[in-house]
Amino acid sequence: MDFEIPEGILCTKTHECIFQIEDEYYIGITDFAVEQLGDIVFVELPEVESEFSQGEIFGTLESVKAASELFAPVSFKVLEVNEELISKPELLNSDSYKEGWLLKIDLTNPSELDTLMEYDDYKSEVQ
Amino acid sequence: MEAKKTPLHQKHIELGGKMQAFAGWDMPIQYSGILEEHKCVRTKVGIFDVSHMGEIFLEGEDAVELLQILVPQDIYTLNNKQIMYGQITNKNGGIIDDLLIYKYNDTKYLIVINASRINEDLNWIEDNAKKERFNVKINDITEKFSLLALQGPHSSDLLDKIGIKKDSQPLYYNFREFELLGTTLMISRTGYTGEDGFEILIKNEKVVELWELLLKSGIEYEIKPIGLGARDTLRLEAAMLLYGQDMTEETTPIEASLAWSIAKNKTHYYNGKERIKDQLITPPQKKLIGFVMADKAIARHGYEIYANDEKIGIVTSGGVSPTLNVNIGLAYIDNSFKIDDKIYIKIRDKLHEAKIVKRPFVEKVNKIVR
Repeated sequence: MDFEIPEGILCTKTHECIFQIEDEYYIGITDFAVEQLGDIVFVELPEVESEFSQGEIFGTLESVKAASELFAPVSFKVLEVNEELISKPELLNSDSYKEGWLLKIDLTNPSELDTLMEYDDYKSEVQ
Repeated sequence: MEAKKTPLHQKHIELGGKMQAFAGWDMPIQYSGILEEHKCVRTKVGIFDVSHMGEIFLEGEDAVELLQILVPQDIYTLNNKQIMYGQITNKNGGIIDDLLIYKYNDTKYLIVINASRINEDLNWIEDNAKKERFNVKINDITEKFSLLALQGPHSSDLLDKIGIKKDSQPLYYNFREFELLGTTLMISRTGYTGEDGFEILIKNEKVVELWELLLKSGIEYEIKPIGLGARDTLRLEAAMLLYGQDMTEETTPIEASLAWSIAKNKTHYYNGKERIKDQLITPPQKKLIGFVMADKAIARHGYEIYANDEKIGIVTSGGVSPTLNVNIGLAYIDNSFKIDDKIYIKIRDKLHEAKIVKRPFVEKVNKIVR
């Protein structure tokens, strides 16, 4: 797995992450999570405008092996859902930081970003 | 307790295998990816290390009598060099394990059993032999021998290429012994994928050499090593049951829809015979069925099944069918339901429609030599 790691990416212990593309915030899952899950075959994501608090379950990923719940890394409101991912879950396997992003979001409590881990800390935590 | 390693452990790591504990063994779950490996077995040929499986020889004048009380199959009908699929049943007809029974001759049989059940099986077999004062030597060779599976439409071509010529290869559910690499290989035409293929029993000291020979000779057929992940999706498409999920000590062969495999008029006594005989006359409350999901949701082991607001069953295996590109599963449901009936599976608090279908899900595409 050699995904390009987005600059300034912040991660959770449960492998969700937040990164920015052109000043917009996106939620995704880490390359380590993709590697562990293997072939991802089903993605369930919330609707645009729905809101979640930090730690709340906002969706599900299913790999061939198992189902995994997605936990909100921070509190957010959904601005856009990656619709392409619903029909092509394998985009997560090809690059979870690019065409495999999950949601474009608005932070509803930006101070929670401080509770997340930087990528290097995350890597040493999970490995 | 530290997980046991097969003699191929290091090879799996070198091939990029992701290792995971399975029934006390550290085994490769996948190498290149489950979907890719699955497709390789359906279209080309794949090689599996299944050395975690248990192998036990039963030898002696009472070997056949011992087997006769252990399983609802009729061992007398088995010919030399033939193999039979069966189940070891308890006094209530519940399944202690499922197995393959290989007949070498009247006084020598081999059974191949699930890794997770070796201790239970051994204790049960020894108890039965002792109680009946049978003259049988029970010889567990699991840790001295390795088992490889070669599965897929090019399996026979590949064996031919390494010197096991096609006209000498065993037919479906038969086995033969061959001399190769300075040792004896026991090759059976069996598998757990629904494809044509073979399983090869070889002593530990020689298995690395055989593995490498098969991988190298298989390059022209685009052979791949296959992990336990794809083994599970392949067997599910073929609707082959997995012990511990689709059958347990609480389910009988009749409930598990394995009536096809048992000897319905067996005169010899066997453990659980009374209950199984009863169920052959009066069908049990529950039965195992196959289903296909109407949407992309995946049913998993333990999910509940509903119809008309009533709970009618439970999923025992579920997942993707890479060949059919739909999601499939096996379940126990109330006996009144039949093929084409709609059922509803509860996945994360929502009901998802599914339909009961015929098993296997994937018909044998590639002809199996019988």
